[in-house]
Amino acid sequence: MAATAPAVDVTGAAPVTPRRRRPPFGAYGLLVPAAVVIGVALGYPLVRQFVISFQEYGLRQQFGQPAEWVGLANYTDLLTDPYVWTVIGRSILFCLLNAAVTMVVGVALAVLMSRVGKVARTTLQVSLLLAWGTPVLASMTVWQWLFDTQYGVINWVLSEVLGIDSMAGHSWIIEPLSFYFVATVIVVWMSVPFVVFSVYAGLLQVPEETMEAAQLDGASGWQRFWGITIPMMRPVLSIVMLLQVIWDLKVFTQIYVLQRAGAPTRDTNLLGTLIYSYAGEFSKAGALATIMLVITLALTGFYIRQMLKEDEL
Amino acid sequence: MKMLRFAAVGVAAALTLTACSSGDDPSSDPSEAGTPEPATIKLWLNGTDTGDALREYLVTTFEAENPGSKLVIEEQDWSGLVPRLQTALASEDQTPDVVEIGNTQSATFTYAGAFSDISDLYEEVGGAKLLQGFVDAGIADGKNYALPYYSGARAVFYNKDMFAAAGVEVPTTIAEFGEAAKKLQSDSVSGFWFPGQDWYNGATWLYTAGGDFAVQEGDEWKGALSEPKSIEGLEQVADLFANATNAPADSDSNEPWVPFNAGQAAMFSAPTWARWSIDLPQCNKGVDPDDTSDEAKALRGEQQACNEEHTGVFAMPGNAAGDYATAFAGGSNIAVAAKSKNQDLAKSLVRIIYSPEFQQMLGENGLIPGNTEYASSMGDDVYAQAAISAALNAKLTPAAEKWADVEGDRILEDFFQQIATGADVAEAAAAADQLLADTLN
Repeated sequence: MAATAPAVDVTGAAPVTPRRRRPPFGAYGLLVPAAVVIGVALGYPLVRQFVISFQEYGLRQQFGQPAEWVGLANYTDLLTDPYVWTVIGRSILFCLLNAAVTMVVGVALAVLMSRVGKVARTTLQVSLLLAWGTPVLASMTVWQWLFDTQYGVINWVLSEVLGIDSMAGHSWIIEPLSFYFVATVIVVWMSVPFVVFSVYAGLLQVPEETMEAAQLDGASGWQRFWGITIPMMRPVLSIVMLLQVIWDLKVFTQIYVLQRAGAPTRDTNLLGTLIYSYAGEFSKAGALATIMLVITLALTGFYIRQMLKEDEL
Repeated sequence: MKMLRFAAVGVAAALTLTACSSGDDPSSDPSEAGTPEPATIKLWLNGTDTGDALREYLVTTFEAENPGSKLVIEEQDWSGLVPRLQTALASEDQTPDVVEIGNTQSATFTYAGAFSDISDLYEEVGGAKLLQGFVDAGIADGKNYALPYYSGARAVFYNKDMFAAAGVEVPTTIAEFGEAAKKLQSDSVSGFWFPGQDWYNGATWLYTAGGDFAVQEGDEWKGALSEPKSIEGLEQVADLFANATNAPADSDSNEPWVPFNAGQAAMFSAPTWARWSIDLPQCNKGVDPDDTSDEAKALRGEQQACNEEHTGVFAMPGNAAGDYATAFAGGSNIAVAAKSKNQDLAKSLVRIIYSPEFQQMLGENGLIPGNTEYASSMGDDVYAQAAISAALNAKLTPAAEKWADVEGDRILEDFFQQIATGADVAEAAAAADQLLADTLN
């Protein structure tokens, strides 16, 4: 997905207009495996989720009773519940904030990586890979220990080393805001490596000559970064941003584990954990998942259109 | 480039969609009991309460009584059990044949039709001698779908040295218990280890004062936390949170012996098998728990004796001297999956579980067997006595169809945590009642 050669000279592109030919039948054949996989792995659950969201479908139905059609009842139930709106609002805020912080930190680290020497770069790469490669639950356990109320290192450092007595036995997750702060630290820590590697790969594709020419023309480092690097990396940045928004909206594991570590559940639910909590009412969970899909599309539709438009050029 | 970008959008779409998949295969009719031809059946046991010796007994006995058949025991984790059962029990190919299920989770599955009607076994395996509250949790429409497996009563463990140093006697009423806990409390030592989310222990005060979590009125369930008697019990809970414990409000009931072992708590309440987890520093001989030499065994024996010498145990006292408190009855039920293809073999396993030998083995392992006739097998040491006294008075959570949702939503964890952080009891109770009613109806 790395950006390529100077995308700027589109206007001066060679006037070679390839004759459009109808693809041979075989080309469709090649699409079949992918279509089948998508159809089975994604299409079926999606359709089923959509269907049960219009039914009364709970545990009883799962064990054999007929499911009744209820029209939009599940949706109206959810959308008239102020609590659901609170959670939607929280989720969107959390998602945008996390995606933004992740992008800023990620791009900054990628630029740093392209400027430092070999040893520093390798160290950085290895640490990032380790952070990325650690299984989520394993790293969550470590994070939980770090922030533990009684025995956590963070409270110990704050109270014993820095002498802030009030931090001894401070609970980091009992207040929603502080809970989201901890969650943000963890989510950002986990997502940054992906951004760094993608953006770093993109940075390597920015042609030296263009940069050199700009430098000769007297552009400062900052100007070169904003005027050349960023525009050239737009495709990479927008895809990475898109993925971050999607991932951060559907964040589940980190929130769930932190909640189980002792946070007040109702005050800290995001969409992922709220859907999960409708465990026995599949129709309601399906309806909320569909609403979440719509929100995701609304948040990312702009990017997707932008990307498809660029492709048409 | 074009392809790559297209692929990236595809991947993005895929990642979004997987977040939304839910539900399971549409269920088909439960299979009728087939001929008991040899088969391999699965038993799901939760946690490690059922020890290895008991498991071995089940496997060998089952295989001896059903030649050619095999029993596979799979251990499940208590946490996340409900969703796992929801998916597994609904699939004919995936379902375990016999399951252990938490007593408070029984009602939900019983009403859903997840279990087979085993009313015909009821009399045979003990009838009226079975733990009644547990039996009730497994009844729907007058039929038995789940029967009691074991109950783990709670008892209070206390540090004898701390009691002696503070001049505190073993309390004889629940009010005295509160006084003792406050007297033992200091900045570094909790009088009573009472974690903020520990509603299992909190239930003791609620129930003993005559309150309840929810009550049924006609067809409707109603939250009962703001009833006067409930409030009375909850005020005592608030008092303990404020004046008798240093336990963090964000901690739960897991491993309460950790602070006790570290000398940071004078008392904690836990199922009686917690005695094996007590490890006071003055008694620790530094033996490797995996060392099986005679020497190590002797040292471990000494260590255990020393721990038990410095640790006392009593059943939580009730409102008047000589009474016992009404505590929450932890424990589990046994049920046969409705979708199991091996109904007869499954029932054969249930019969083995209720055989006198196995019931006695449960008791010897510190669990109160489902058939109370065998409770004496627990022995007559202080631990057994405390456990039995506590169990006879214990009470379950309301037998509501949707009780599992209350636990899934963690309404009670949130509620007790609010009390632990000093919220107004009446206000918090009213809010929790509303949530309970919304969830249960």
